Amino acid sequence: MSALIITVVLGIVVLYLGFLNKKAILSPVAVAGLLVVLWFTSGEWNSGAAYFHDMVVFDNFSVAFNISMIILTILIFLFGMDYYRTMEFHVSEHYALMIFALTGAFLMTSFSNFIMLFLGIEILSIPLYILAGGKKYSYRSNEASFKYFMLGSFATTIFLFGIALIYGTTASFYLPEIEQYVAGCNGELHPMLMIGLLFVLIGVAFKIAAAPFHFWSPDVYEGAPTLVTVFMSTVAKTAGIAAFYRLLGMGLLPLPVPLERALWVMTGLTLLVGNMGALRQTSFKRLLAYSSIAHSGFIMLAMLSQHDNSASTLLYYTFVYSLAVIPVFIIFILVKRASNGLEQLSAFNGLFREKPWIAAAFVILMASLAGIPPTSGFLAKFQVFVLSIGQGYLFISLFAIVMAIVGVYYYFMVIREAYTESEFAKPIVLNQLNAALILICTLGVLILGIFYRAIII
Amino acid sequence: MSFLFYFLSAIMIISGLLLVFSKSPINSVIALIVCFIAMGGQYILLNAQFLAVVHIIVYTGAIMVLFLFVIMLLNLNKTTIPQKTSLTRVSAVIAGGLFFLVMIAASRQALEITPRYPFDGHTGLVSAIGKSLFHEFLLPFEISSVLFISAMIGAVMFGKKDPPGYSDPVYRNNNTGTA
Repeated sequence: MSALIITVVLGIVVLYLGFLNKKAILSPVAVAGLLVVLWFTSGEWNSGAAYFHDMVVFDNFSVAFNISMIILTILIFLFGMDYYRTMEFHVSEHYALMIFALTGAFLMTSFSNFIMLFLGIEILSIPLYILAGGKKYSYRSNEASFKYFMLGSFATTIFLFGIALIYGTTASFYLPEIEQYVAGCNGELHPMLMIGLLFVLIGVAFKIAAAPFHFWSPDVYEGAPTLVTVFMSTVAKTAGIAAFYRLLGMGLLPLPVPLERALWVMTGLTLLVGNMGALRQTSFKRLLAYSSIAHSGFIMLAMLSQHDNSASTLLYYTFVYSLAVIPVFIIFILVKRASNGLEQLSAFNGLFREKPWIAAAFVILMASLAGIPPTSGFLAKFQVFVLSIGQGYLFISLFAIVMAIVGVYYYFMVIREAYTESEFAKPIVLNQLNAALILICTLGVLILGIFYRAIII
Repeated sequence: MSFLFYFLSAIMIISGLLLVFSKSPINSVIALIVCFIAMGGQYILLNAQFLAVVHIIVYTGAIMVLFLFVIMLLNLNKTTIPQKTSLTRVSAVIAGGLFFLVMIAASRQALEITPRYPFDGHTGLVSAIGKSLFHEFLLPFEISSVLFISAMIGAVMFGKKDPPGYSDPVYRNNNTGTA
């Protein structure tokens, strides 16, 4: 709880630091504050408690996810040092909004009441709607912000309607009470409750960009400023997945058969749309958007097939995925600057000639996203398949494996571009902080993959 | 009591239809305002005074009047609604119809639900809402301030005028651009 309060205060402090007109201190202050938050959050491990009439419960699950999200935010803020260097106005607002969004993410991992889940989703979303339009004078950014806002509000209304319907039948917002009510029904659920549950799941599925609620994601990822795209595809995604898992685990399991069937169809569709959509992309950010949809599919597979044991797999998967995505976007920004703002895949041309070790790191990171051993991306996917095959969901697991193999194609398409000669000279400017970030993340991806047993057990 | 309910419902349905079918946006907005006021009446019938007042102040008073202003200021009173292709229309009708069907099927059995909380005269009064807001729902009440401050930051960020000549740090040819 203290971590939550400190995060809010930190956001306000960073906001007011904007008056000093010193951009350079914003990121260090934010990172220092987040380190304090990290300290307080890790203090709650194994001493979880419920606060304010069980509105939020900080158990080990939420603490673990919160820690992972704080680390990711710190990495993103360190990247922000360089990213926001040429931006003259509203930099402190950007940092503050990201910190507020992190507050919402905390609520999404620790709710035990529908009201808190709703507020968490909104507190995460509204800063993201604003941040997506961070480049005020770019039409793409405006479009991204507007589209995200419209579709997001629509998803929110559906979600809220679902909560209302659930409240109408069960007379409670509190998830354990709803679970009790559902258990008392003996499988004969009221249709109104069923539709309510479906609507609530739709609202959360929108957040993790699961098909068929993924339409916003490529446009928004492409139009938003790259740093915001990173934030959306890492922190927001982790929060959405944690919320989805918690929602299922705290009140909705075992799901009624029609709903479960709907979720399985959603999983298959997400895998298909994500991987097939990525094949035809020429813009790098769109490609990563589709890749992010595909990863949601794998995560849903783990979540649905064996819910009780999949928490650690989900944490590992999301963390490792995010750890690979952050440096990939840093490298993308570097090559984009070197090639006159080009966002196509060909922006990567000549990377190996200019900075061979960055190209090597890029290969490792892409291999991790594709799921090639010995990177941690492979282990994450491997664990998902172990869970789902162990439960006997053979058909969808095979489908997911085929989709993972399809995925290898488009990730290596990007690697091929990085190892193609460029037509013109590309002086890639790399400062030490970015170099360190790329190095740390790449090593993290490798170490988490190779020494997996040593870390977990 | 039941006469009032049917009366207000009839007003709501008629004004709702007017909202959809009227050609002029101003008539639509006024029909929506009538619909909202009738809905406020329904809330009072349910003893939810606070909700009724908030509904009329916020929706009819603020949001709808804002709509009206925007429509008047931008002079949108002509029928400039872009025509959709017939495929979009047909698919929208089918999707909406299916959704309507599902909702009807679900709410058909809603009558079987018995109220879980016994009704007393205090339900829906301002004092009852205030008590639960500052007791049971204190955390949501407080934490929503984060939501509002983010929204305000957004309004300032988008609304503030930047110095003339300033634009986003797009790429400049000296390798220092971001974005």
